[in-house]
Amino acid sequence: MKEEPRVGVFICHCGINIGGVVNVPEVTEYAKSLQNVKHAENNLYTCSEAGLAAIKEAIKKHKLNRVVVASCTPRTHEPLFRSACEEAGVNRYLFEMANIREHCSWVHAHEPKEATKKAKDIVRMAVAKAALLEPQTEPEVDVKDASLVIGAGIAGMTAALSMANQGFKVHLIEKEKELGGLTQRLYKLYPTLADSSEILEPLIKSVEANRNIELMTSTTLKDVTGYIGNFDAVLTGPEGDKKVNVGTIIVASGSSNYTPPQGLYQYGIYDHVITQIELDEMLSKGKIGHPKRIVMIQCVGARKGEIRPSDLEAFPKSDTADLLRKILKARKEEGWPYLSKICCMDAKKNAILVKEKSPKTDVVILFGDLRVYKEYEDFYRKARDLEVRFIRHIEEVSPEITKTSEGELQVATFDAMSGLEVKFPADWVVLSTPLIPNKDEVMLARMLKIPIGTDGFLMEAHLKLRPVDTNVDGVFIAGTVSGPKDVSESIISGEAAAARASILMGNKKVRTEAITAVVDEELCIGCGLCEEICPYGAPKVEEGKSKILEILCRGCGSCSAECPRQAITMRHFGDHQLLAQVKALLTPQA
Amino acid sequence: MVKEKKTKQKFEPTIVAFCCNWCSYAGADLAGTSRFEYPPNIRIIRVMCTGRIDPTLVFETLRMGADGVLIAGCHPGDCHYQKGNFMMEKRFSYIKKAADDMGVEPERVRLEWVSASEGGKFTALVREMTEQIEQLGPNPMIQKASATIDAFKSQRLRWVMGRSQIKVDIEEVKYRQTVDSIMHDEIERHAITRALKEKGPLTVQELAEISGLQPSRIVRHILALRKNGVVNEAGEKDRQLLYQLI
Repeated sequence: MKEEPRVGVFICHCGINIGGVVNVPEVTEYAKSLQNVKHAENNLYTCSEAGLAAIKEAIKKHKLNRVVVASCTPRTHEPLFRSACEEAGVNRYLFEMANIREHCSWVHAHEPKEATKKAKDIVRMAVAKAALLEPQTEPEVDVKDASLVIGAGIAGMTAALSMANQGFKVHLIEKEKELGGLTQRLYKLYPTLADSSEILEPLIKSVEANRNIELMTSTTLKDVTGYIGNFDAVLTGPEGDKKVNVGTIIVASGSSNYTPPQGLYQYGIYDHVITQIELDEMLSKGKIGHPKRIVMIQCVGARKGEIRPSDLEAFPKSDTADLLRKILKARKEEGWPYLSKICCMDAKKNAILVKEKSPKTDVVILFGDLRVYKEYEDFYRKARDLEVRFIRHIEEVSPEITKTSEGELQVATFDAMSGLEVKFPADWVVLSTPLIPNKDEVMLARMLKIPIGTDGFLMEAHLKLRPVDTNVDGVFIAGTVSGPKDVSESIISGEAAAARASILMGNKKVRTEAITAVVDEELCIGCGLCEEICPYGAPKVEEGKSKILEILCRGCGSCSAECPRQAITMRHFGDHQLLAQVKALLTPQA
Repeated sequence: MVKEKKTKQKFEPTIVAFCCNWCSYAGADLAGTSRFEYPPNIRIIRVMCTGRIDPTLVFETLRMGADGVLIAGCHPGDCHYQKGNFMMEKRFSYIKKAADDMGVEPERVRLEWVSASEGGKFTALVREMTEQIEQLGPNPMIQKASATIDAFKSQRLRWVMGRSQIKVDIEEVKYRQTVDSIMHDEIERHAITRALKEKGPLTVQELAEISGLQPSRIVRHILALRKNGVVNEAGEKDRQLLYQLI
């Protein structure tokens, strides 16, 4: 140890939250008796202005070089106390928190004696770890002020335009010849019944006219290396390969509309059995005419099949491509397990469009379950007012499609209300199918190291809190690539992803994780296991020794736990630091 | 709450929980925020990911006298680092096997998934584990713990365990058998080298008595250790060869 640890302990009453259960003065006195502790005090609220000032003052007065705050959870308050330490000249990683609120006073409210004893243990463990803490720096990297947007659908174009308008260079690539993605195939959009072209065309024009956007159609991502702030991407298109250097990447490669396998509801066998998106195309061309009856069937290939544990078990060993292949195969056999969100509204929209053109056509929507959310309830009422018939069938029994001897389509199903079998002769049967993941996503996900969820879509970093971030720093997702979304939601996510990326590019620099892996080169034998284990590609064996590219390391520590030579340690969560906590708890005198 | 008079003899176990920062530590936080109550026997140590927990950390904790060890991480598919929990699950199967061999009851060492929203589950888990370990009594003196820790530090065992985290071209069951047999060998060999280190040169018979292993197994290990340059002969005692560490 280079310098003698001088630990200061600050114990918080948190009003009565801690003080009402734990005997805080007793814990403070106890803390003073611990090895390396040079100062201990208690505060009414350590996180208050006065509490933080007390920390800074004590650091100066007692020449403290380590700080322990015994209060609440580090998950909320650690950054605050760390900053206080930093302001008083103590590295922010020379700080440790003892959680005596969430993990003690709040869960042992009726056992004050036991809680006090436990609080002492928790403080002792924190002090033991604090003494072994080392200063860390968060490496700072430059962020190139250019972005790569993959996919020029509604989400991708929105994102590209948003960043370009802020002055950032955007490389927008689209694998198809034309821009517009899935929206292009839609006729009118719910709930306004506006033409999709009314939204798409101005957007396409703005994208094409924007000088900051370099647009490349029939182009895909071939390879990508680098890290947040500095990605090197190879794009491949009709004019060969092209290299671009960007600071951020937005994946907006969209999804596909599920095409039922031949024979499912007689799809592909009878001409007049079509999917909802095919109906869209027919409506736009005015091909549908004035049929007597159209029967729509909901949830075709959706919300069926469970994620099997075997799919998950396969994950650690196989790469994402394998997993996705497996999922795709299972889904082909069992259907997609999730709710696709847009199909209910889509069916209603097309039903309304048919009714408006041809009021005499009987439109029947057969559903097991119908979901109308947000303000779309009105849209549902509109369909009802137009006398679209909604009939719930018994969910377990799928409707059956046959052809009568006269060559007429007939849909038979069990009405859930009466339990009786009902039969509908129909001119057209329209299947509402879900949005499903694109096959190209596999390669893309693998190249970018974005995990794929069990539903087959790209996974967001956090479903609730970070919906457009991915687990890879500097890479964001927008649109239906992460799951079914309608047009307005795709636009929202496109704007959101652009905002997230612009923050990085606007700041020009970004601080990355300080808690990373460190290789002891003396011990390392260069076996390369860490290279294969790491989900982020951080370790690289060079000249017989593993080197961690800190910028890629996220600090999970899997390499450390698996290293055959125990040559890898983690900053801030080293084995010796964790063991010191265990030791302080179990053999305090030693 | 029913007040129970605690008898002085009542055994109060100490349980060490390693909770991952993103899910289980937050789940434990939520138990507090929700004001759930559980027995005060547990001490939580925060790690960034369960994928980071080295087997030796678990065995050291047991050796130092913890009556139970709980490892709690994110549910499959929820890992903040993609697959740290899967790696822990695999690793845990080895830990479990070695713990079983040491005579550690399965209730004492557990791996559980607790999400950030499962304060209730965390509470139930702590209650259950505390009750079960109270029934079991204190952690028995684990004679083999040191040898097990040595084995889990050995390059040979760590290598085969580590390889099983990635694709191997061997049938899984067969690979598992190989790992188990190597684990077994390494633990026994480290028991032998520990005995030699502590007691000086010993005969096969003496080693068998100390370790409780069959003399035939000792001979097998001595041959391997001699080949690897770990032990050699050190004269004779009662017409039997003595072995020592090199």
